[in-house]
Amino acid sequence: MHISLRPSQAWDRGLFLAAVGLALMGGVAVTSASATLNPMLAFRHGIWVAIGIVTSLWIARTNYRNWTDIAWLAYGLSIVLLALVPVAGAARLGATRWLSIFGLSIQPSEFGKLTTVWLLARYLAGAGSPLPRRALWMSLIIVGPPALLVFLQPDLGSASIFCAIWLGMIWVAGASRRTLGTLAGCLVALLPLAWHLLKGYQRDRLLAFLDPSADPLGVGYTMIQSTIAIGAGGLWGRGWLAGTQNRLSFLPERHSDFIFSVIGEERGMLGCFGVLGLFGLLLARTARLAMTSSDPQGRLLAAGIFSWLAYQACVNMGMVMGLLPVVGVPLPLVSYGGSSMVAVWIALGLLQSLHRAERSDATARNF
Amino acid sequence: MAQLRLLLVIVFGLLVLRLAQLQVVQGAYYRQRADQNRLRVIPEQAPRGLIVDRRGRILAGNQTVFGVALIPQELEDPPSALARVSDLVHRPADILQREYARAQGAAFLPATVVPRLPKEIAIQLEEERWRLPGVLVRAEPVRSYPLGTTAAALLGYLSQPTADELPRLKPFGIRPRELVGRSGVEQLLDHALRGRSGGLVVEVNHRGQQVRVISRRAPEAGAQVTLTIDAQLQSLVEEAFRLQPGAAVVLDPKTGEVLAIVSMPTFSPEAFTAPDLEAVRRLLNDPHAPLMNRATLGVYQPGSVLKLVTAAAALEQQLVTPSTTVVCPGSMTIGDRTFHCWYRDGHGPMRLEEALMQSCNVYFMHLGRMLGLPRLRTALESLGFSRRTGWPLAEQTGHLPQRRLTEGEVALLAMGQGEVLITPLQAAVMGSAFANGGWLVEPWVVRSVAGRPVAPRPSPRRLPWSAETVEAVRVGMRAVVRNPSGTGHGAFSPQVGIAGKTGTAQTHEPGRTHGWFVGFCPLEQPRVAMAIVAEYGGSGGALPADIARAICEYVSLPGTL
Repeated sequence: MHISLRPSQAWDRGLFLAAVGLALMGGVAVTSASATLNPMLAFRHGIWVAIGIVTSLWIARTNYRNWTDIAWLAYGLSIVLLALVPVAGAARLGATRWLSIFGLSIQPSEFGKLTTVWLLARYLAGAGSPLPRRALWMSLIIVGPPALLVFLQPDLGSASIFCAIWLGMIWVAGASRRTLGTLAGCLVALLPLAWHLLKGYQRDRLLAFLDPSADPLGVGYTMIQSTIAIGAGGLWGRGWLAGTQNRLSFLPERHSDFIFSVIGEERGMLGCFGVLGLFGLLLARTARLAMTSSDPQGRLLAAGIFSWLAYQACVNMGMVMGLLPVVGVPLPLVSYGGSSMVAVWIALGLLQSLHRAERSDATARNF
Repeated sequence: MAQLRLLLVIVFGLLVLRLAQLQVVQGAYYRQRADQNRLRVIPEQAPRGLIVDRRGRILAGNQTVFGVALIPQELEDPPSALARVSDLVHRPADILQREYARAQGAAFLPATVVPRLPKEIAIQLEEERWRLPGVLVRAEPVRSYPLGTTAAALLGYLSQPTADELPRLKPFGIRPRELVGRSGVEQLLDHALRGRSGGLVVEVNHRGQQVRVISRRAPEAGAQVTLTIDAQLQSLVEEAFRLQPGAAVVLDPKTGEVLAIVSMPTFSPEAFTAPDLEAVRRLLNDPHAPLMNRATLGVYQPGSVLKLVTAAAALEQQLVTPSTTVVCPGSMTIGDRTFHCWYRDGHGPMRLEEALMQSCNVYFMHLGRMLGLPRLRTALESLGFSRRTGWPLAEQTGHLPQRRLTEGEVALLAMGQGEVLITPLQAAVMGSAFANGGWLVEPWVVRSVAGRPVAPRPSPRRLPWSAETVEAVRVGMRAVVRNPSGTGHGAFSPQVGIAGKTGTAQTHEPGRTHGWFVGFCPLEQPRVAMAIVAEYGGSGGALPADIARAICEYVSLPGTL
């Protein structure tokens, strides 16, 4: 993962091209997945990609510090939106995750992740290293409300993303190994309680993960069909629009959470490696920013985005390959879904802005 | 941060390994699973092979049966479609609704709601069909038996396999509702007759709805089976029984070909394919067991027809000659038991010819005592009694005494009474041996399958009898029919020379007897040998002799056989 681009460039081209590549692969797969579902979805997907890229480019031209200055505002706004979901949201597939604003269906949890990273970066940067205990509790208080609201939607997968973001960021912010060890212990201790809080179908999904064949037409169905689709793709894939699992609707949620199965079936191992490679490049560039940035706030911002995207991508791919239980999280940049698409592109715009700031700092130092 | 990056590299490594496992190592398996998901077959039944007689007359064929089926996925509004079909076929909608609920399987599979429909209504419905999306008029080949009940016990019948049998039949491609041969030739040659069903391979989506047709395989009709039976003779014999229970076998004495094999009462095999459940229940509960082929599965005491073997054995052992005289005083005392001749006044002095003609018990008891049990049993066994005849379908072997018998019991055995049971088929084989000059034939009935002769043809076995022995018995058999005082004179025909021997076998019901006739015709160069038994039919000289005459007169007509 040592793809180095000269730091003198105003653009982190690797980061940008990897993201565009993923969006392209996603667009192609979403087109195939939605062909027998609703061809309009592919069109809408394209529009969201375009909106995402334009927003990203615009943010890249601004100073990321201007944005972190209003982090509390953005965070507060997304908490309000999340709190509105149970009141005014639209239920779909047994969960209420969407808000309808001016005819647009948005998923506040996606913006919740972005603004939480954003605010945590700002807060933790000022807390000093090693991280004082007070700051640790404070950071938990920042992550807690959105994570809980998402968990209650219920959206177990997204709630776990908040945890991943938090853990990743306090680690980079300098929490001691002991602190993290204690936290891990607490999490394990809380597992029975969490199990108790889960909805019936969520427990079924976790059990189905342990033995999908126990109920092949029920909760195990999704996982079995997804695994079949990926396996049937083989080395070269069955060709665009030619995946039978996809085209004949054996794959559920194939344009959104299970888009990677469509890529696996129609593009084969080659396509899957393409997605993994592009994510590898994107995350390597993000990690590099997190390590090289001279500004603690920038470092933490990059680390937070890294934790978010890396965790979400791994959970999604692990899930569709049958390695993890089925939790509904989209594959960043690839899955259909406007909120996720725009939120990730905004995050990437912030990273570009950070890159630009670092470069101008370096240039300034050189003179 | 570097640690987080390392963690990511490890997780990516795991994902790559999993991809390799799914897509490369198990790729073929998952490909097959994907195909199983999407491919289904709509079966199309193959017409069953014809069963024809020696002249190509159809004994079992197929008729096209029309039915109405509904295709669930194409049905826009099932209740209204059912209502319209109900009007057209004149059947109550609630019955159709129930049938539909019962037959409904996958969305693309036609569910039959009316299994049989008169042709006119089917045509009418077909004309209306453009207005009834999802309604299908089916035309399917269904087994039919154009000659009705003729040779039913030989042909057998078809029925659906039971739940127990299905796992065993499945490897042969037999589906739950498919009919399989249950007995007779339908069962024996089920595999050849079945053919290969074809069908449409369709692609379905996750709801099981048909998306498109991938391919069609035309059904292959089953092989035609040609039997040695003469259908005309067969039905003639069946009618000659005049509803009397019994059995008859007519053989070609040179080859062992079965020309007719009759078991009365007979039944209609179509009761099972219709299916007419009421008729099937009646058949299964009938005390006369019409489904059983009495000609091979019925065992009867032979009575006097067995005297033919006693005579041949005694002649062959040179215990008597045709001119040896035995006096019949009307009874014979062996030890402290007295056995009466059926003619209590006594036949007086008798030679072999008269003894056979009159069926004198004393004469044959005398021969039996001279022979003794071992020699008598050997003679009976050499003629195939208590053994399988080689008949390709189910048969009973009958029974001969295996223990030591008293002298009186041996004497009874010599006249066909006591501990002895035979099948009509065995009796016909015995008749053939006298017709063909001392050869034991193996009866067979399947001449060819799909035009290929069934090999190897069984070849007759020579019996240890001299030509003189056979001729001496034949002289007696001729007298039985020709002489007005012969017991079988009822079989006499001015058109054709007939030889035979009657028998009247005791049953466990006192005073009731089975009547036998074993014989052949014509006298020179016999073309048929036969055995006829009428259950509780009195003496062999009555109905059995009449049937023998009918057979022989048919055979003597030019152009038959």
